[in-house]
Amino acid sequence: MATAVPPPSRAEIISLFRSLLRSAREFPDYNIREYTKRRTIDSFRDNKSLSDPSSIAAAFTDGKSQLQVAKRQAVVYSLYAPKVKSIMDIKH
Amino acid sequence: MNLCLLLTTLTLNSKLRMKTPKCSLNLPSHTPNDHTNTCDDSVTHTLFSSSLSHSLKPEVRWLQPLPPISLPSHPQTSFTESKSTNLSTKKMASKVLAAAVRRSLSPKIPTSIRPLSTAAAAVAEPYDETAGISMKGVKIAGRPLYLDMQATSPVDPRVLDAMLPYFVSRYGNPHSRTHLYGWESDEAVEVARSQVANLINASPKEIVFTSGATECNNISVKGVMHFYREKKKHVITTQTEHKCVLDSCRHLQQEGFEITYLPVKSDGLIDLNELRSSIRSDTGLVSVMAVNNEIGVIQPMEEIGQICKEFNIPFHTDAAQALGKIPIDVNKWNVSLMSLSGHKVYGPKGVGALYMRRRPRIRVEPQMNGGGQERGIRSGTVPTPLVVGMGAACELAMKEMEYDEKRVTKLKDRMLNGIRARLDGVVVNGSTESRYAGNLNLSFAYVEGESLLMGLKEVAVSSGSACTSASLEPSYVLRALGVDEDMAHTSIRFGIGRFTTEEEIDKAVELTVNQVEKLREMSPLYEMVKEGIDIKSIQWSQH
Repeated sequence: MATAVPPPSRAEIISLFRSLLRSAREFPDYNIREYTKRRTIDSFRDNKSLSDPSSIAAAFTDGKSQLQVAKRQAVVYSLYAPKVKSIMDIKH
Repeated sequence: MNLCLLLTTLTLNSKLRMKTPKCSLNLPSHTPNDHTNTCDDSVTHTLFSSSLSHSLKPEVRWLQPLPPISLPSHPQTSFTESKSTNLSTKKMASKVLAAAVRRSLSPKIPTSIRPLSTAAAAVAEPYDETAGISMKGVKIAGRPLYLDMQATSPVDPRVLDAMLPYFVSRYGNPHSRTHLYGWESDEAVEVARSQVANLINASPKEIVFTSGATECNNISVKGVMHFYREKKKHVITTQTEHKCVLDSCRHLQQEGFEITYLPVKSDGLIDLNELRSSIRSDTGLVSVMAVNNEIGVIQPMEEIGQICKEFNIPFHTDAAQALGKIPIDVNKWNVSLMSLSGHKVYGPKGVGALYMRRRPRIRVEPQMNGGGQERGIRSGTVPTPLVVGMGAACELAMKEMEYDEKRVTKLKDRMLNGIRARLDGVVVNGSTESRYAGNLNLSFAYVEGESLLMGLKEVAVSSGSACTSASLEPSYVLRALGVDEDMAHTSIRFGIGRFTTEEEIDKAVELTVNQVEKLREMSPLYEMVKEGIDIKSIQWSQH
């Protein structure tokens, strides 16, 4: 399946990266927000060396589905956000 | 007679009085800032009359059933009785009037006060809207940073994302064989089963879903021994086991089984030779936990499994704290039974899985009887959303184990170095080599643990296992290690996990160091140590 998908362009990859970071910011929970940011950056860095077009395409589709999860969950988390923030969010 | 009557009327009155504030509580309180323009006389008047007639009705209806309560067996009392109720109705009426007036003054209808939508407003109500939290007499500015991953871990958003459909529309019973709802739930459960099995290199057929690791441990220890009770009478376990294994063993002991509680060395690991020498011909089970919940040491599982294989004894391990954190291979470890838990791997609470080897087959007596789900080992409907969550958590753990491991190790080093750089007399409990990095159990000399925890309200940590955190007794695990009483009293377990950040570690280090320094400053013991007195040589008069 993944091999049939053409490898994404550089612009598409950067756009996905930015969208992931943007949805990370939506999380009201301190830990989840920081994790999503960090995990996004780290996995893009890890996949930087990918050269095989099919594995690039696979990583890209995986990232896209992660973006969907992040978008959905950011909504869920903000619906049930506690009124009192984390101590880490207050004293900064 | 009269006295009795008086008493009843009194109680009636008081009952009425108790009830009335309830009614008025529902009314919105008068807020002077709101809608000042609507307070002209005409508006107030119309509102008054309408709300009066509205509010009187329920009150009257409420009063009506009361007279039959009045004492039936005293014929001559009826007059005074009715009089007194009349009196109370009058009082009631005036109260109702007052309530109505109060209501009319604030012309908002109650429903309009609530924000129009969003579940958030309804859900977040338990917290007060002022800054900070006040709970159990403690005031905290914000939600504490969480460093108690051994007690439980937060649910990963990706896990929740997998679970939510099964809470919303796919609610079928996985055991329903007659419709789509059942089929799709059953399929999801089977997918989750293989996800769990993959993480521990087992076959999906060897996984039984339960309610958690405690249930798994009970099935394993009691179930196996009960099943083989004719031939096998002896169980070997360790002193540092989780409470549910120890308690199951105690239960077996009362039934006449014999238990050997293996001691541990000062690093928390068992002595393999001691294990070998305590095996008897009627030993039916060896139960050793993989990663200790309190101190995080990893037992030599492969070696223990080898010994059990040699003597052909079933080997059970409680791997709740190991799942997703260290690589698990049931064949390398040669375990016959393994307890797993969902909420320690960023999954939901209330679900666990028991691994049961098929070749050679291990058999257990079920603890619960019923519909025969999970091959009769654990009857009761399988909770599809939870099981799906556990499956997703296991799959995620498999993907993320390497990444998490690296990160957790880095954070642990950061924390330990940060504390050690500023404090002396800090001891890591348990082996430093064979341990899971995410569990840092530290003892701070010359500090009383409970006071330290009290001062660390902005850091969610515990002194040991959550099950025993209510008692002031030092942990039995630390005592089994031979840790001195005073050091066992000051232990704190820092649990580092997937979502912990560097900033949190730095903050926790800072708060801990400050608190320890503050407590040491107050401590006469620390002063004496500074002066060069050996505390151990002091003869305390009270002892």
